[in-house]
Amino acid sequence: MNDKILVVDDEESLRLTMKLKLKAAGFEVEVAEDGEAAIEKLRGQKFDAVLLDINMPRMSGIEALGIIRQQFPQTEAIMLTGFADFSTAIECLKNGARDYLVKPIDTTELITRLKSLLRSKSSEQALFEVQRQYSSIFLNDMLGPLKEMRSSLEKVLKLKGKSETAQREKLIEDVHDRCDKMAKEIQLLLDFSHTEIEKKTSEGVSINTTELAERLKQLREKIK
Amino acid sequence: MNVNQKDIIRYQYKFEFERSPEINFDVDLDANSLVLVGEDNAPRPDWTKLKFNQCENCPLSSDVEYCPVAVNLARIVEKFRDDVSFESTVVTVKTKERTFVKKTTLQKGIASIIGLFMTTSNCPIMDKLRPMARFHLPFATSVETFFRSISTYLTAQFLLSRKGKEPDWTLAKLLDYYKAINTVNKGMSNRLAKASERDANVNAVVILHSFGDGISYFIQDGLEEIEPMFSVFFENEENPIQGTANPPH
Repeated sequence: MNDKILVVDDEESLRLTMKLKLKAAGFEVEVAEDGEAAIEKLRGQKFDAVLLDINMPRMSGIEALGIIRQQFPQTEAIMLTGFADFSTAIECLKNGARDYLVKPIDTTELITRLKSLLRSKSSEQALFEVQRQYSSIFLNDMLGPLKEMRSSLEKVLKLKGKSETAQREKLIEDVHDRCDKMAKEIQLLLDFSHTEIEKKTSEGVSINTTELAERLKQLREKIK
Repeated sequence: MNVNQKDIIRYQYKFEFERSPEINFDVDLDANSLVLVGEDNAPRPDWTKLKFNQCENCPLSSDVEYCPVAVNLARIVEKFRDDVSFESTVVTVKTKERTFVKKTTLQKGIASIIGLFMTTSNCPIMDKLRPMARFHLPFATSVETFFRSISTYLTAQFLLSRKGKEPDWTLAKLLDYYKAINTVNKGMSNRLAKASERDANVNAVVILHSFGDGISYFIQDGLEEIEPMFSVFFENEENPIQGTANPPH
Protein backbone atom coordinates (compact mmCIF):
# COMPACT_ATOMS: atom_id res chain seq x y z
CA MET A 1 0.00 0.00 0.00
CA ASN A 2 1.25 3.51 -0.82
CA ASP A 3 2.29 5.87 1.96
CA LYS A 4 -0.46 8.34 2.71
CA ILE A 5 0.37 12.04 2.98
CA LEU A 6 -1.73 14.97 4.17
CA VAL A 7 -0.78 18.35 2.65
CA VAL A 8 -1.89 21.32 4.77
CA ASP A 9 -1.60 24.81 3.26
CA ASP A 10 -4.00 27.74 3.09
CA GLU A 11 -3.07 28.43 -0.53
CA GLU A 12 -4.98 26.42 -3.14
CA SER A 13 -2.25 26.49 -5.80
CA LEU A 14 0.33 25.08 -3.38
CA ARG A 15 -2.02 22.32 -2.25
CA LEU A 16 -2.81 21.31 -5.82
CA THR A 17 0.79 21.44 -7.04
CA MET A 18 2.07 19.40 -4.12
CA LYS A 19 -0.74 16.91 -4.57
CA LEU A 20 0.16 16.47 -8.26
CA LYS A 21 3.88 16.10 -7.46
CA LEU A 22 3.42 13.62 -4.63
CA LYS A 23 0.90 11.54 -6.58
CA ALA A 24 3.37 11.36 -9.46
CA ALA A 25 5.98 10.09 -6.96
CA GLY A 26 3.65 7.27 -5.89
CA PHE A 27 2.13 8.67 -2.70
CA GLU A 28 -1.53 8.69 -1.79
CA VAL A 29 -2.42 12.33 -1.08
CA GLU A 30 -5.15 14.28 0.70
CA VAL A 31 -5.21 18.04 1.26
CA ALA A 32 -6.50 20.40 3.97
CA GLU A 33 -6.71 24.19 3.95
CA ASP A 34 -5.69 24.86 7.54
CA GLY A 35 -4.85 23.27 10.88
CA GLU A 36 -8.46 22.71 11.92
CA ALA A 37 -9.34 20.98 8.66
CA ALA A 38 -6.17 18.89 9.00
CA ILE A 39 -7.12 17.67 12.48
CA GLU A 40 -10.58 16.75 11.18
CA LYS A 41 -9.00 14.69 8.39
CA LEU A 42 -6.60 13.01 10.82
CA ARG A 43 -9.54 11.99 13.01
CA GLY A 44 -11.13 10.18 10.07
CA GLN A 45 -8.11 8.60 8.37
CA LYS A 46 -4.64 7.36 9.18
CA PHE A 47 -1.76 9.28 7.55
CA ASP A 48 1.91 8.36 7.47
CA ALA A 49 3.06 11.96 7.26
CA VAL A 50 1.69 15.47 7.21
CA LEU A 51 3.26 18.43 5.35
CA LEU A 52 2.27 21.38 7.47
CA ASP A 53 2.47 25.06 6.52
CA ILE A 54 3.43 27.24 9.49
CA ASN A 55 1.55 30.47 8.75
CA MET A 56 -2.13 29.75 8.30
CA PRO A 57 -5.38 31.43 9.43
CA ARG A 58 -7.72 29.90 12.08
CA MET A 59 -5.19 27.37 13.42
CA SER A 60 -1.50 27.84 12.69
CA GLY A 61 0.81 25.00 11.74
CA ILE A 62 2.52 25.19 15.13
CA GLU A 63 -0.77 24.77 17.01
CA ALA A 64 -1.73 21.90 14.71
CA LEU A 65 1.67 20.29 15.27
CA GLY A 66 1.07 20.24 19.04
CA ILE A 67 -2.26 18.43 18.59
CA ILE A 68 -0.83 16.00 16.03
CA ARG A 69 2.06 15.02 18.33
CA GLN A 70 -0.39 14.46 21.19
CA GLN A 71 -3.29 12.76 19.44
CA PHE A 72 -1.71 11.17 16.35
CA PRO A 73 1.87 10.23 17.35
CA GLN A 74 2.14 7.72 14.50
CA THR A 75 1.88 10.55 11.93
CA GLU A 76 5.18 12.28 11.18
CA ALA A 77 5.21 16.03 10.54
CA ILE A 78 7.32 18.08 8.12
CA MET A 79 6.90 21.83 8.45
CA LEU A 80 6.73 24.18 5.45
CA THR A 81 7.71 27.81 5.76
CA GLY A 82 7.55 30.54 3.15
CA PHE A 83 10.13 32.58 4.92
CA ALA A 84 13.49 31.39 6.15
CA ASP A 85 12.40 31.87 9.75
CA PHE A 86 14.83 29.43 11.30
CA SER A 87 13.94 30.18 14.91
CA THR A 88 10.34 29.12 14.25
CA ALA A 89 11.51 26.07 12.33
CA ILE A 90 13.80 25.02 15.17
CA GLU A 91 10.94 25.56 17.62
CA CYS A 92 8.88 23.18 15.48
CA LEU A 93 11.65 20.57 15.53
CA LYS A 94 11.80 20.87 19.32
CA ASN A 95 8.04 20.33 19.42
CA GLY A 96 8.22 17.07 17.51
CA ALA A 97 8.34 17.97 13.81
CA ARG A 98 10.77 15.67 12.01
CA ASP A 99 11.96 18.13 9.37
CA TYR A 100 11.20 21.45 7.72
CA LEU A 101 11.40 22.82 4.19
CA VAL A 102 11.61 26.41 2.99
CA LYS A 103 9.29 27.44 0.13
CA PRO A 104 9.53 27.51 -2.84
CA ILE A 105 10.05 23.81 -2.38
CA ASP A 106 12.31 21.86 -4.69
CA THR A 107 10.42 18.77 -5.86
CA THR A 108 13.39 16.40 -5.72
CA GLU A 109 14.29 17.56 -2.23
CA LEU A 110 10.71 17.16 -1.02
CA ILE A 111 10.38 13.61 -2.36
CA THR A 112 13.84 12.59 -1.10
CA ARG A 113 13.25 13.90 2.41
CA LEU A 114 9.77 12.43 2.61
CA LYS A 115 10.94 9.00 1.46
CA SER A 116 13.87 9.07 3.86
CA LEU A 117 11.61 10.04 6.74
CA LEU A 118 9.10 7.31 5.98
CA ARG A 119 11.85 4.73 5.54
CA SER A 120 13.27 5.70 8.90
CA LYS A 121 9.79 5.57 10.44
CA SER A 122 9.17 2.12 9.00
CA SER A 123 12.58 0.96 10.32
CA GLU A 124 11.73 2.20 13.77
CA GLN A 125 8.40 0.40 13.68
CA ALA A 126 10.08 -2.78 12.48
CA LEU A 127 12.66 -2.48 15.22
CA PHE A 128 9.96 -1.97 17.81
CA GLU A 129 8.21 -5.10 16.57
CA VAL A 130 11.39 -7.20 16.68
CA GLN A 131 12.22 -5.85 20.15
CA ARG A 132 8.72 -6.67 21.34
CA GLN A 133 8.94 -10.22 19.99
CA TYR A 134 12.44 -10.96 21.21
CA SER A 135 12.54 -9.20 24.55
CA SER A 136 10.35 -11.89 26.14
CA ILE A 137 12.51 -14.65 24.65
CA PHE A 138 15.72 -13.09 25.94
CA LEU A 139 14.24 -12.39 29.35
CA ASN A 140 13.30 -16.03 29.53
CA ASP A 141 16.88 -16.94 28.57
CA MET A 142 18.14 -14.86 31.52
CA LEU A 143 15.59 -16.18 33.96
CA GLY A 144 16.84 -19.81 33.79
CA PRO A 145 20.45 -19.11 34.91
CA LEU A 146 19.20 -16.65 37.56
CA LYS A 147 17.02 -19.33 39.10
CA GLU A 148 19.94 -21.77 39.09
CA MET A 149 22.20 -19.19 40.78
CA ARG A 150 19.59 -18.57 43.44
CA SER A 151 19.29 -22.31 44.09
CA SER A 152 23.11 -22.61 44.36
CA LEU A 153 23.25 -19.69 46.80
CA GLU A 154 20.51 -21.26 48.95
CA LYS A 155 22.58 -24.46 49.09
CA VAL A 156 25.64 -22.43 50.13
CA LEU A 157 23.70 -20.89 52.99
CA LYS A 158 22.76 -24.36 54.28
CA LEU A 159 26.39 -25.65 54.21
CA LYS A 160 27.79 -24.37 57.51
CA GLY A 161 30.21 -27.04 58.73
CA LYS A 162 33.99 -26.92 58.11
CA SER A 163 33.90 -30.31 56.41
CA GLU A 164 31.71 -28.84 53.69
CA THR A 165 34.10 -26.04 52.67
CA ALA A 166 35.11 -27.70 49.38
CA GLN A 167 31.49 -28.22 48.35
CA ARG A 168 30.66 -24.63 49.29
CA GLU A 169 33.55 -23.26 47.29
CA LYS A 170 32.48 -25.28 44.27
CA LEU A 171 28.95 -23.86 44.46
CA ILE A 172 30.25 -20.28 44.77
CA GLU A 173 32.57 -20.86 41.81
CA ASP A 174 29.61 -22.15 39.84
CA VAL A 175 27.57 -19.01 40.65
CA HIS A 176 30.56 -16.85 39.69
CA ASP A 177 30.86 -18.61 36.33
CA ARG A 178 27.17 -18.16 35.62
CA CYS A 179 27.39 -14.45 36.50
CA ASP A 180 30.30 -14.06 34.07
CA LYS A 181 28.39 -15.81 31.32
CA MET A 182 25.29 -13.68 31.85
CA ALA A 183 27.34 -10.47 31.79
CA LYS A 184 28.87 -11.55 28.48
CA GLU A 185 25.43 -12.33 27.06
CA ILE A 186 24.07 -8.93 28.07
CA GLN A 187 27.16 -7.19 26.67
CA LEU A 188 26.76 -9.00 23.34
CA LEU A 189 23.15 -7.90 23.11
CA LEU A 190 24.04 -4.31 23.93
CA ASP A 191 26.80 -4.28 21.34
CA PHE A 192 24.46 -5.68 18.72
CA SER A 193 21.79 -3.11 19.56
CA HIS A 194 24.19 -0.15 19.41
CA THR A 195 26.24 -1.01 16.37
CA GLU A 196 23.62 -2.56 14.12
CA ILE A 197 20.27 -1.08 14.89
CA GLU A 198 20.98 2.47 15.99
CA LYS A 199 23.39 3.02 13.13
CA LYS A 200 20.84 1.87 10.60
CA THR A 201 17.95 3.93 11.95
CA SER A 202 20.01 7.10 12.35
CA GLU A 203 21.17 6.82 8.74
CA GLY A 204 17.59 6.30 7.59
CA VAL A 205 18.51 2.84 6.26
CA SER A 206 15.55 0.52 6.25
CA ILE A 207 15.80 -2.51 8.51
CA ASN A 208 14.96 -5.88 7.10
CA THR A 209 13.05 -7.47 9.97
CA THR A 210 13.55 -11.01 8.71
CA GLU A 211 17.30 -10.46 8.49
CA LEU A 212 17.34 -8.83 11.91
CA ALA A 213 15.34 -11.66 13.47
CA GLU A 214 17.70 -14.22 11.90
CA ARG A 215 20.76 -12.41 13.28
CA LEU A 216 19.21 -12.26 16.72
CA LYS A 217 18.46 -15.97 16.51
CA GLN A 218 22.09 -16.72 15.59
CA LEU A 219 23.33 -14.52 18.43
CA ARG A 220 21.10 -16.37 20.86
CA GLU A 221 22.46 -19.70 19.68
CA LYS A 222 26.00 -18.38 20.04
CA ILE A 223 25.31 -17.24 23.61
CA LYS A 224 23.84 -20.62 24.52
CA MET B 1 8.03 56.12 -22.27
CA ASN B 2 5.42 58.23 -24.09
CA VAL B 3 2.35 56.22 -24.78
CA ASN B 4 -0.94 57.64 -25.90
CA GLN B 5 -3.68 57.17 -23.28
CA LYS B 6 -5.82 55.15 -25.68
CA ASP B 7 -2.96 52.72 -26.20
CA ILE B 8 -2.90 51.84 -22.52
CA ILE B 9 -4.34 48.75 -20.90
CA ARG B 10 -5.02 49.62 -17.28
CA TYR B 11 -5.58 47.29 -14.34
CA GLN B 12 -6.55 49.18 -11.18
CA TYR B 13 -5.89 47.19 -8.03
CA LYS B 14 -7.38 48.19 -4.68
CA PHE B 15 -6.52 46.35 -1.44
CA GLU B 16 -8.92 46.99 1.47
CA PHE B 17 -8.18 45.96 5.05
CA GLU B 18 -10.19 45.89 8.25
CA ARG B 19 -7.67 47.77 10.34
CA SER B 20 -5.66 49.89 7.93
CA PRO B 21 -6.26 52.26 5.01
CA GLU B 22 -6.77 50.91 1.50
CA ILE B 23 -3.83 50.62 -0.86
CA ASN B 24 -4.12 51.32 -4.57
CA PHE B 25 -1.96 50.36 -7.51
CA ASP B 26 -2.49 51.16 -11.17
CA VAL B 27 -0.82 48.82 -13.61
CA ASP B 28 -0.52 50.48 -17.00
CA LEU B 29 0.61 48.40 -19.96
CA ASP B 30 1.50 49.54 -23.45
CA ALA B 31 -1.34 47.93 -25.45
CA ASN B 32 1.00 46.92 -28.26
CA SER B 33 4.15 45.76 -26.52
CA LEU B 34 2.46 44.82 -23.20
CA VAL B 35 5.39 46.39 -21.36
CA LEU B 36 4.70 48.16 -18.06
CA VAL B 37 4.75 51.93 -18.47
CA GLY B 38 5.10 54.78 -16.00
CA GLU B 39 7.63 53.06 -13.75
CA ASP B 40 10.55 55.24 -14.85
CA ASN B 41 10.49 57.15 -11.56
CA ALA B 42 9.80 54.13 -9.38
CA PRO B 43 12.00 53.73 -6.26
CA ARG B 44 15.13 51.66 -6.78
CA PRO B 45 16.24 50.28 -3.42
CA ASP B 46 19.48 48.30 -3.17
CA TRP B 47 17.73 44.97 -3.52
CA THR B 48 16.65 45.90 -7.06
CA LYS B 49 20.26 45.90 -8.29
CA LEU B 50 20.95 43.13 -10.78
CA LYS B 51 23.84 41.76 -8.75
CA PHE B 52 21.78 41.51 -5.55
CA ASN B 53 20.92 37.78 -5.36
CA GLN B 54 21.02 37.60 -9.17
CA CYS B 55 19.06 34.65 -10.63
CA GLU B 56 21.23 31.65 -11.53
CA ASN B 57 20.10 31.74 -15.15
CA CYS B 58 20.08 35.52 -15.67
CA PRO B 59 21.02 36.25 -19.30
CA LEU B 60 21.53 40.00 -18.76
CA SER B 61 25.01 41.38 -19.17
CA SER B 62 26.93 42.81 -16.24
CA ASP B 63 26.57 46.39 -17.52
CA VAL B 64 22.84 46.26 -16.69
CA GLU B 65 22.61 47.91 -13.28
CA TYR B 66 19.10 46.96 -12.17
CA CYS B 67 17.05 43.79 -12.42
CA PRO B 68 13.99 44.74 -14.54
CA VAL B 69 11.72 42.39 -12.60
CA ALA B 70 12.86 43.74 -9.23
CA VAL B 71 12.40 47.35 -10.39
CA ASN B 72 8.83 46.58 -11.45
CA LEU B 73 8.15 44.98 -8.08
CA ALA B 74 9.76 47.68 -5.93
CA ARG B 75 6.65 49.76 -5.26
CA ILE B 76 4.49 46.87 -4.17
CA VAL B 77 7.20 45.03 -2.25
CA GLU B 78 8.06 48.10 -0.19
CA LYS B 79 4.37 48.60 0.58
CA PHE B 80 3.82 45.07 1.88
CA ARG B 81 7.24 44.33 3.37
CA ASP B 82 5.88 44.17 6.96
CA ASP B 83 2.71 42.18 6.25
CA VAL B 84 1.80 38.55 6.84
CA SER B 85 0.74 36.28 4.02
CA PHE B 86 -2.61 35.15 5.40
CA GLU B 87 -3.92 38.60 6.34
CA SER B 88 -7.46 39.00 5.05
CA THR B 89 -8.15 41.63 2.39
CA VAL B 90 -10.79 42.57 -0.15
CA VAL B 91 -9.15 43.10 -3.52
CA THR B 92 -10.92 44.93 -6.32
CA VAL B 93 -9.49 44.89 -9.82
CA LYS B 94 -11.01 47.27 -12.36
CA THR B 95 -10.38 47.06 -16.08
CA LYS B 96 -12.07 48.92 -18.92
CA GLU B 97 -14.35 45.97 -19.50
CA ARG B 98 -15.18 44.66 -16.01
CA THR B 99 -14.56 44.65 -12.28
CA PHE B 100 -13.33 41.70 -10.22
CA VAL B 101 -13.82 41.62 -6.43
CA LYS B 102 -12.54 38.95 -4.09
CA LYS B 103 -12.16 38.54 -0.37
CA THR B 104 -8.89 36.70 -0.15
CA THR B 105 -5.53 36.44 1.56
CA LEU B 106 -2.93 39.14 1.05
CA GLN B 107 -0.50 36.65 -0.51
CA LYS B 108 -3.07 35.74 -3.17
CA GLY B 109 -3.83 39.39 -3.93
CA ILE B 110 -0.14 40.27 -4.19
CA ALA B 111 0.52 37.19 -6.34
CA SER B 112 -2.12 38.36 -8.78
CA ILE B 113 -0.59 41.81 -9.28
CA ILE B 114 3.07 40.80 -9.17
CA GLY B 115 2.37 38.19 -11.82
CA LEU B 116 1.51 41.15 -14.05
CA PHE B 117 4.56 43.15 -12.97
CA MET B 118 6.96 40.28 -13.54
CA THR B 119 5.76 39.28 -16.99
CA THR B 120 5.75 42.85 -18.32
CA SER B 121 9.21 43.84 -17.12
CA ASN B 122 11.27 43.06 -20.24
CA CYS B 123 13.11 40.27 -18.41
CA PRO B 124 14.19 38.00 -21.31
CA ILE B 125 13.05 34.90 -19.40
CA MET B 126 9.70 36.18 -18.11
CA ASP B 127 8.94 37.60 -21.58
CA LYS B 128 7.50 34.25 -22.68
CA LEU B 129 4.53 34.85 -20.38
CA ARG B 130 3.92 38.40 -21.55
CA PRO B 131 0.95 37.62 -23.87
CA MET B 132 -0.90 36.32 -20.80
CA ALA B 133 -0.87 39.87 -19.37
CA ARG B 134 -3.36 40.90 -22.07
CA PHE B 135 -5.76 38.23 -20.85
CA HIS B 136 -4.99 38.71 -17.16
CA LEU B 137 -7.40 36.83 -14.89
CA PRO B 138 -7.10 38.13 -11.33
CA PHE B 139 -7.24 35.49 -8.56
CA ALA B 140 -7.21 32.65 -11.07
CA THR B 141 -7.22 29.13 -9.65
CA SER B 142 -4.33 26.80 -10.47
CA VAL B 143 -6.33 24.95 -13.11
CA GLU B 144 -7.43 28.22 -14.72
CA THR B 145 -3.82 29.41 -14.83
CA PHE B 146 -2.58 26.11 -16.28
CA PHE B 147 -5.32 26.29 -18.92
CA ARG B 148 -4.54 29.91 -19.84
CA SER B 149 -0.89 29.12 -20.01
CA ILE B 150 -1.28 26.09 -22.26
CA SER B 151 -3.83 27.92 -24.44
CA THR B 152 -1.53 30.91 -24.85
CA TYR B 153 1.37 28.66 -25.78
CA LEU B 154 -0.69 26.69 -28.32
CA THR B 155 -1.94 29.96 -29.86
CA ALA B 156 1.68 31.03 -30.25
CA GLN B 157 2.47 27.69 -31.95
CA PHE B 158 -0.45 28.15 -34.36
CA LEU B 159 0.77 31.64 -35.24
CA LEU B 160 4.27 30.22 -35.67
CA SER B 161 3.02 27.53 -38.05
CA ARG B 162 1.14 30.16 -40.08
CA LYS B 163 4.48 31.85 -40.59
CA GLY B 164 5.79 28.58 -42.05
CA LYS B 165 7.85 27.69 -38.97
CA GLU B 166 7.96 24.47 -36.99
CA PRO B 167 5.38 24.54 -34.18
CA ASP B 168 5.72 22.55 -30.95
CA TRP B 169 2.41 20.79 -30.38
CA THR B 170 3.95 18.51 -27.73
CA LEU B 171 4.35 21.36 -25.20
CA ALA B 172 7.95 20.27 -24.67
CA LYS B 173 9.34 23.79 -25.01
CA LEU B 174 6.65 25.17 -22.72
CA LEU B 175 8.07 22.98 -19.94
CA ASP B 176 11.57 24.27 -20.73
CA TYR B 177 10.31 27.84 -20.53
CA TYR B 178 8.69 27.17 -17.17
CA LYS B 179 11.83 25.55 -15.85
CA ALA B 180 13.71 28.76 -16.61
CA ILE B 181 10.84 30.92 -15.30
CA ASN B 182 10.86 29.00 -12.05
CA THR B 183 14.56 29.63 -11.60
CA VAL B 184 13.68 33.33 -11.83
CA ASN B 185 10.80 32.86 -9.38
CA LYS B 186 13.15 31.16 -6.95
CA GLY B 187 15.78 33.88 -7.38
CA MET B 188 13.11 36.52 -6.86
CA SER B 189 11.80 34.86 -3.69
CA ASN B 190 15.36 34.90 -2.28
CA ARG B 191 15.67 38.56 -3.25
CA LEU B 192 12.31 39.49 -1.68
CA ALA B 193 13.09 37.54 1.49
CA LYS B 194 15.96 39.98 2.00
CA ALA B 195 13.74 42.96 1.16
CA SER B 196 10.87 42.00 3.49
CA GLU B 197 10.34 41.63 7.20
CA ARG B 198 7.30 39.31 6.97
CA ASP B 199 6.21 36.62 4.53
CA ALA B 200 3.47 38.23 2.37
CA ASN B 201 5.75 39.22 -0.55
CA VAL B 202 7.75 36.00 -0.57
CA ASN B 203 4.68 33.81 -0.37
CA ALA B 204 3.15 35.67 -3.30
CA VAL B 205 6.14 34.65 -5.44
CA VAL B 206 5.90 31.14 -3.98
CA ILE B 207 2.36 30.95 -5.38
CA LEU B 208 3.62 31.91 -8.84
CA HIS B 209 6.44 29.37 -8.46
CA SER B 210 3.88 26.68 -7.66
CA PHE B 211 2.12 27.29 -11.00
CA GLY B 212 5.41 26.86 -12.83
CA ASP B 213 6.29 23.86 -10.74
CA GLY B 214 2.94 22.19 -11.24
CA ILE B 215 2.43 22.64 -14.96
CA SER B 216 4.43 19.58 -16.02
CA TYR B 217 2.43 17.44 -13.57
CA PHE B 218 -0.78 19.05 -14.79
CA ILE B 219 0.05 18.18 -18.41
CA GLN B 220 0.93 14.64 -17.31
CA ASP B 221 -2.03 13.92 -15.00
CA GLY B 222 -4.29 16.96 -14.63
CA LEU B 223 -5.32 17.24 -18.27
CA GLU B 224 -7.10 13.90 -17.94
CA GLU B 225 -9.45 15.51 -15.45
CA ILE B 226 -10.60 18.18 -17.90
CA GLU B 227 -10.50 15.91 -20.97
CA PRO B 228 -14.20 14.93 -20.71
CA MET B 229 -15.10 18.62 -21.20
CA PHE B 230 -13.64 18.37 -24.69
CA SER B 231 -15.45 15.16 -25.65
CA VAL B 232 -17.60 16.98 -28.19
CA PHE B 233 -14.49 17.49 -30.31
CA PHE B 234 -13.58 13.79 -30.18
CA GLU B 235 -17.10 12.58 -31.01
CA ASN B 236 -17.38 14.75 -34.12
CA GLU B 237 -13.86 14.26 -35.33
CA GLU B 238 -15.10 12.58 -38.55
CA ASN B 239 -17.50 15.37 -39.41
CA PRO B 240 -16.69 18.45 -37.34
CA ILE B 241 -19.10 20.79 -39.20
CA GLN B 242 -22.31 19.03 -38.11
CA GLY B 243 -21.85 19.59 -34.38
CA THR B 244 -24.57 18.53 -31.94
CA ALA B 245 -28.24 18.51 -32.82
CA ASN B 246 -29.25 20.31 -29.63
CA PRO B 247 -26.67 22.82 -28.57
CA PRO B 248 -26.62 23.52 -24.83
CA HIS B 249 -28.19 26.79 -23.63
